[in-house]
Amino acid sequence: MSIFEYNGCALVAMVGKNCFAIASDRRLGVQLQTIATDFQKIYKIHEKLFIGLSGLATDAQTLYQRLVFRHKLYELREERDMKPETFASLVSALLYEKRFGPYFCQPVIAGLGDEDKPFICTMDSIGAKELAKDFVVAGTASESLYGACESMFKPDMEPEELFETISQALLSSVDRDCLSGWGGHVYVVTPTEVTERILKGRMD
Amino acid sequence: MTKQQANWSPYDNNGGTCVAIAGADYCVIAADTRMSSGYNILTRDYSKIIQLADKSVMASSGFQADVRALQKVLASRHLLYQHQHNKQMSCPAMAQLLSNTLYYKRFFPYYAFNVLGGLDNEGKGCVFTYDAVGSYERVGYSSQGSGSTLITPFLDNQLKSPSPLLLPAKDAVTPLSEAEAIDLVKTCFASATERDIYTGDKLEIIVLNASGIRQEYMELRKD
Repeated sequence: MSIFEYNGCALVAMVGKNCFAIASDRRLGVQLQTIATDFQKIYKIHEKLFIGLSGLATDAQTLYQRLVFRHKLYELREERDMKPETFASLVSALLYEKRFGPYFCQPVIAGLGDEDKPFICTMDSIGAKELAKDFVVAGTASESLYGACESMFKPDMEPEELFETISQALLSSVDRDCLSGWGGHVYVVTPTEVTERILKGRMD
Repeated sequence: MTKQQANWSPYDNNGGTCVAIAGADYCVIAADTRMSSGYNILTRDYSKIIQLADKSVMASSGFQADVRALQKVLASRHLLYQHQHNKQMSCPAMAQLLSNTLYYKRFFPYYAFNVLGGLDNEGKGCVFTYDAVGSYERVGYSSQGSGSTLITPFLDNQLKSPSPLLLPAKDAVTPLSEAEAIDLVKTCFASATERDIYTGDKLEIIVLNASGIRQEYMELRKD
């Protein structure tokens, strides 16, 4: 059993027209036992920047705490929010610092950059960035998510349609993964507002 | 002194993906035509589908040498059946035969992941899905092979028919029309080809219905 499959997670982020959506499942497990059904995996860094962390839950929480610390320091010094591209490089650097004893996490970063242009990226557990124009996935359900997103995605979707698409992709993928599920948590972010919704799915 | 491990394996995985969907009066069976070994492509034009009987078509991914041996065994058993019973084997009968044939080699299995599609005795579409040692189930749709993890969730979402995940198990055919089902299969393979390196080159689609059997091809990405 891989360490990445200890807790279980499904993460996906998609780009729309001047907006993005990031979604996760809600399960926290210890191998086959479910411990929590409302576990948060997506964190807000600032109004236009979100990060989801999949993999080992303890490493995800520690990494999040370190990132919040670094971002708060950055805000104090620079008197502005961090751009998503910069934040991605920060995450990558933090992960590579632990190259020979890594955090067992795979992050998914989504934000609105300069001129509110949507930005998404993912990386492996030692910080290799993968920038994508359409969608990125992570977690134990990643293969299912790749298939579902590849078939359902189309470019330049409006926020409502993007929400529907990402929700359908997430729910169908976690239904085929034992380690993720118990509903979904979806954030849809536009330049003017952030909408957070809970999805009801199969509770198994 | 650690136990000595084999440095040669009798098996290889030639990759590929198969899908089958059962309709009210049709069945669609599809598979890509790429045959690989490791990171190499052996050929872009290899059929994984075989027609075993009038109304039974099998698609198999996995180790193609074992698949070919399995196809020969089934074809010969079907011929014997025809001599003894003076009729073609029905799809449910072929399904049971395939299961028994696979389990016969329980302790040195056929490395074959099969999907059997066809029309049952009432003319309704049927799909049977198998593991490598013969465990099988009649379902409304199925996918096997390297791209199956990418395709199955999408089929769960699109087919609007009872999924194999529901309880109690429902015997299902999709309400989609034949043309819609074929379109769906093409979409599945286009997406799987993007993300799975072992799937691509060409898609072979077989459609079985009351009028007979039909074959269609679609080009897929070759990278």
